[in-house]
Amino acid sequence: MGENESGSKLDRREFLMGLAAIGGVGVLGAGSWGVLEAMVPQAKAASWHKSVCRFCGNGCGVMVGMREQKVVAIRGDFEATNKGFICVKGSLLSSLNTAGYGGNGSGRALKPKIRREDGQLVEASWEEAMGLVAEKFTNAIKTKGKNAVAFYGSGQLLTEETYTANKLFKGGIGTNNVDGNPRLCMASAAVGYTQVFGKDEPAGCYEDLDKAEVFFITGANMAVAHQPSFERMKLTRKANPNSRIIVVDPRRCETAEAADIHLHIRPGYDLMLLNSMAYVIIKDKLVDKAFVAQHCKFARMVPQLDAEGKPLLDEKGQPLPPKEDNSLSLEEYGALLEDYAPEKVAERIGISPYQIREVAHLFAKSNGTVSCWTMGINQSSRGTASNNMLSALHLLTGQICKPGATPLSMTGQPNACGGVRDCGALSHLLPHGRLAANPKHREEVEEIWGLPKGTIAPGPGKHTIAMYRAMETSEIECLLVMCTNPAQSLPAGERYRRAMEKGFMVVAEAFEDSETAKLAKVILPAALWIEKEGVMGQTERRYQLIEKLLEPPGEARSDLQILVDLAERLEGAGVIPAGLIKSKVPKEVWDEVRKMSAKSVYNYEGMTWERMQKEHGIQWPCPTESHPGTARRYMKGDPMMSNPDLDIEFYGQPDKKAKIWFRPWVNLPQEPSEKYPIILTTGRILEQWHTGTMTQRIKELDEASGPATIEINIQDAHERNISEGQMVTIESQFGKVQGKAKLSTGPRKGVCFAAFYDPKVFVNAVVSDAFDPMSFEPEFKVTAVSMSLAEGSVSPRS
Amino acid sequence: MTTLILILGVGLSLVGLLICIRLWLMSASQLNSKVGAMGVKVGAAIGLGVLPLLAIGVANYQTFEGVKEVSSCAGCHVMSPMVNDMVNKQSRSLAARHYNNRWIASQQCYNCHSDYGLSGTMKSKGDGFRHLARYVSSTYKEPIEFNRSGGFYDNNNCLKCHALTEKFQAVSSHSTLREHLASSESSCLNCHGPAHPTALQRTPGSKSYEALMQPPVLEASR
Repeated sequence: MGENESGSKLDRREFLMGLAAIGGVGVLGAGSWGVLEAMVPQAKAASWHKSVCRFCGNGCGVMVGMREQKVVAIRGDFEATNKGFICVKGSLLSSLNTAGYGGNGSGRALKPKIRREDGQLVEASWEEAMGLVAEKFTNAIKTKGKNAVAFYGSGQLLTEETYTANKLFKGGIGTNNVDGNPRLCMASAAVGYTQVFGKDEPAGCYEDLDKAEVFFITGANMAVAHQPSFERMKLTRKANPNSRIIVVDPRRCETAEAADIHLHIRPGYDLMLLNSMAYVIIKDKLVDKAFVAQHCKFARMVPQLDAEGKPLLDEKGQPLPPKEDNSLSLEEYGALLEDYAPEKVAERIGISPYQIREVAHLFAKSNGTVSCWTMGINQSSRGTASNNMLSALHLLTGQICKPGATPLSMTGQPNACGGVRDCGALSHLLPHGRLAANPKHREEVEEIWGLPKGTIAPGPGKHTIAMYRAMETSEIECLLVMCTNPAQSLPAGERYRRAMEKGFMVVAEAFEDSETAKLAKVILPAALWIEKEGVMGQTERRYQLIEKLLEPPGEARSDLQILVDLAERLEGAGVIPAGLIKSKVPKEVWDEVRKMSAKSVYNYEGMTWERMQKEHGIQWPCPTESHPGTARRYMKGDPMMSNPDLDIEFYGQPDKKAKIWFRPWVNLPQEPSEKYPIILTTGRILEQWHTGTMTQRIKELDEASGPATIEINIQDAHERNISEGQMVTIESQFGKVQGKAKLSTGPRKGVCFAAFYDPKVFVNAVVSDAFDPMSFEPEFKVTAVSMSLAEGSVSPRS
Repeated sequence: MTTLILILGVGLSLVGLLICIRLWLMSASQLNSKVGAMGVKVGAAIGLGVLPLLAIGVANYQTFEGVKEVSSCAGCHVMSPMVNDMVNKQSRSLAARHYNNRWIASQQCYNCHSDYGLSGTMKSKGDGFRHLARYVSSTYKEPIEFNRSGGFYDNNNCLKCHALTEKFQAVSSHSTLREHLASSESSCLNCHGPAHPTALQRTPGSKSYEALMQPPVLEASR
């Protein structure tokens, strides 16, 4: 023991007390720690699962918090491509699977239903319902032929489901009558890319939004329709004082409000603006000549004429279709654009020549320009041409194939890119960039699917509008509609609702009170979102897995189960080859799809199910399991290039050169007239997605959006004595609709706007069903209408 | 201020220590004298009672206040990714934007990670102690996870500054989500992006891990 200077000793007792004191302090510390650890509350979510938002084509990764078989929380997935950003709709995904079922107690389809002859829907067993569907389809095929049946799918089905439907109808039944709502959405972008690059799907990615300097947004209200991506843009804008956001829109919409430059153009005049910008780029020597010379060629369509300049005729005496001309030089291309000098066209576009020049210079000379567009460009009879010209601006200026510079079409639906465009589930397509009209492509697909040569019908089937017109005439007798609501989303809606009622329409849908389900002869209850599993592919060629976390309610089944059941019954009836649909569960189908992709430049064979479970989305091309995926196509790092040492190669085209198209202006199908002096344009709002089938059931979103309104320019309203909140009637040659007036300075004078989510304000009844001659996408954005106070609605100033 | 408190605390401790040493060195005769006995009593009272109590008070104040500083958080190696990202002018994380734009002038970590009111302060101190205990005992695993309020960051820490601003109230989604935001069921981060480097970035072996784990360099004025 120690001894101090005064001679006193630290005895044993004192030593032990010292030890006890030290121990006591230690125990106190550890005890406090333990108490504090115990005070940490139990996590609300027992487990977190990565998933994908069910709504738009932004394809945001979300984390789903689960406890006791319930979704208790939703978070943006920080590791996913959206970097954790999601919108208000995504934030409320936790209510989706209980909305209308256990929530407000109505709407969710729980049992199959069959419409009796008296028009009443009655519950049925799956056996009865599917037996009836198979019988009707078999009879139609046997009596009227393969093209008497059709499939109308959706960019919301999982990839495995769309692929199986496409294979069943095109490979099994032998009809190319396979189309879907992406025809109303991205068809112009898909055809546009194919014409320019030889293959569909964008070259760039969302990461380009972080690296760009100038954003050129045209025909897209991204602040409400693709909000997470727009938030990224705004962050980039804030971080760089030279950055500019340019918005082209006939409405001063939410995106325009946040922009540096807003071109408030007349509806439908995008193509004229893009041509004028191309003119300025060439005239003011803003062309990247080296890039153009090395990687591009010019293209235009010319009529086929004889030596005297008269049209050449076919054997029926009809003029031969125009032929592609690739002989143009840059100078000749520039000369074709002379008619689009800003001073000549600015007034028609509705802006000043200065604005066109300013935007063209910003576009061309920035350190990186990203163009984003969606329905404002695509849903137009000039949709494909405008898509061509957007790509042309990037190619002329070399604003492509480098980080922060790309044309990037924003997709409308969560799996339109993956399931429908990649898997070729439109009437003119076959999987992975193949065309139904191309005999070699058909043979390739027949070989992969193990079908005899000639099984796949030559040439395109019926596109959406043609399909419903064929129902009108009973040319198509049976239609299977899956996971979409065409009775609300088609243009000239009343006409096609009547067509749907006429035929034998089967609707597989999660909600039995959707406008389409109300017209169905058979309703098949379908699983929704995380009640089933499968892969979704979004805007930037990224595939992501949705894990099954909930059991479907009632007797609902996944759409894949429904398709497999139908295939087995049709096989039994002898109308499809035996053993065609071998893959019957999602993983098997995905394996088949990705192995098939390996025989194309879409190659994503390396995206195994196991990788998809682990990783937060992978971008194709991804040819091997060790490949990390490809952020940007057609440039160094893209594994599909013929030579990895090349910097750039547009390998989708046979000569590896992208096409810079000349697309002359074509007059709008509808211009304001005395009878219809106003142009109606349509779109989305932040809280509602698509036809509102899901989002209108979520209380918070429904309350926030309220009923759809008709947004009217204040000058137009004053001229007609219309006040805020009054009921107005909008009428076109296609139909009419009534809604509450919302007075605004947003739309240009002579323009009104309505969102299409609300079935009670059926605005698509009024919308024109004219369509693009190349993509067959309807003209939703420009319809000439009349506008007046609704009967009985008295103006306070009248 | 904290430096002054620190000097005062050290001074008090030194004086107390000197008094104790002086008492220890007193001889028996000095102790037995009347003055000596009184001196011992007074000295002991000061050296063993008053000064230690003052020193404890000052030390506690120093500890309670000092840990509010970013430099204190940066002292733990495992916090380096958060601090490095926060001071990075190129970063677009919420923490970096608040720090580099001086939206929060000082004590940035503490301002966002202490709940409102006295209970909030107590809770954050308790958490701080818990984190320290885990850190010194190496009973944590990288990447560390936020694990308070049921695994949810309390939105009220954002709302206490933002909720009454015009800018906040002008955003319709804030109204749509008001109940979900108040209960933290919906995270502010859903729309405004990550606050810090993601778990994957902070996982040992990831591409960004080494850079994020460098000792943070803080500006003197912060």
